Amino acid sequence: MSHETPTLEAAVRERTGSRYAQRLRKLGQLPAIVYGHGQDPVAVSVDETALVRHLLQGAHVMNLKIKGAAQTCLVKDLQFGYLGDNVIHADFTRVNLDEEVTVNVHLRYSGTPAEAEKPGAVLTHEMTELEVICKVNAIPEEIRVDQSDMETVLTVADIILPPGVRAVADPDTAIAHITYVQEDASGEEAEVEAEGAQPEVITEAKDDGDESKESSD
Amino acid sequence: MPRMPKRIKFRKQQRGKMRGNATRGNYVSYGEYGLQALETHWVSARQIEAGRIAAQHFLRRQGKVFIRIFPDKPISKKPLETRMGKGKADTDFWAARVKPGTMLYEIAGVPEDIAKQALARIAHKMPVRCRFVGRRIAV
Repeated sequence: MSHETPTLEAAVRERTGSRYAQRLRKLGQLPAIVYGHGQDPVAVSVDETALVRHLLQGAHVMNLKIKGAAQTCLVKDLQFGYLGDNVIHADFTRVNLDEEVTVNVHLRYSGTPAEAEKPGAVLTHEMTELEVICKVNAIPEEIRVDQSDMETVLTVADIILPPGVRAVADPDTAIAHITYVQEDASGEEAEVEAEGAQPEVITEAKDDGDESKESSD
Repeated sequence: MPRMPKRIKFRKQQRGKMRGNATRGNYVSYGEYGLQALETHWVSARQIEAGRIAAQHFLRRQGKVFIRIFPDKPISKKPLETRMGKGKADTDFWAARVKPGTMLYEIAGVPEDIAKQALARIAHKMPVRCRFVGRRIAV
C-alpha cells in the first residue's frame, strides 16, 4: 500500500433485511457487514460514494470507524445490481496489518509488443487481475505488466511482483497471448449449407435402439 | 453459419416465460468491453450471426469478438395457410433467451472507441435495447 489506509465512518444497522437495506441505499448509504477474527458479525452501513471512490483507486484495506473505534478491514466481496453498474452490498473482514491474505489485484498492462503490430495479430489479455498472497500492509494497488518485450505468450512468471507479494497461480499460466486471425471464410455458401442441418435427438436414437431390440426378441 | 446445438434431448420445447433479470452471464468476463441487453427477448441464431458479421466486417482482423449467448431453444412455427391443429409444428429457428442484464457480446484487443463503434453496429442487429459496458470493480 503506497498511500495511507482510507478511513470510513460506519454506522451500525439496527434493522436488517432487504426493506431496510433498500431505504439506506436511497439515502446514499451502502449496507455492509463486518466479520472475522472470532468476533460476532456486525451489520453496518457506509457512505457509498466514498467507498466506491476508494475501490476505484485500488484500495483493498480500509479503516472502519464503528461506534468510534477504528477497525482495519479488508474488502472481501462486493454485490452488484443486476446491470452490474452499482454496488449494493459490501463484505468486510477484520484483519491485522501483518497477517497474510489472498487478494485479487488489478493488472495494468503497458507497452505494445512488436508481434502485435503485425497484420492479423490480436493481443488478448487472459487475466485482468491476479490473485496474490501478501501481508495486509503490502497489498499493491495495481501490478504493472510491461508487455513490450513479449513474444507470443506472457505468463505469470514474467510479472515482476513487488517485494513480499507472491502469485497464487501457476507460474506457467498465461496472462496474455497473441493470436493470428485468419480471413473470415463464412459466407453465404456456408449459410445455405447449414439451412438443412438439424441437431441429433438423443432420445429418438434411444427409442430406435429399444425397438430394434424388441424386434430381435 | 447460424449456431444451434449439436445434440438435443427433445426436438420441440414449450414456449416458457422469461421473468426477472439475468443473474448469470451478466458481466464482462472474457473481453474488456461488452454489449449488455436491457430488455427481455428471444434472440434468433440469425440475429446472433448478423451481429458477429457486422462486428467482424468493422474490426477487419483486429481484436477478438466473444459471443456470450447461445441459441439452444427451438422455436416452432406453422407453415402459412395451414389449418390449426394436427400437432405442434416443426422447428422454424433456434433462439437464445435474453433477459435484462445479459451480456450479449464482448470485445478484446481493441481501444475503447473502436470497441464502442463495433458494439454499436452489433446493437443495430439486436431485437433488444443494449448498452456498452466495461469491466466492473474487482476486489
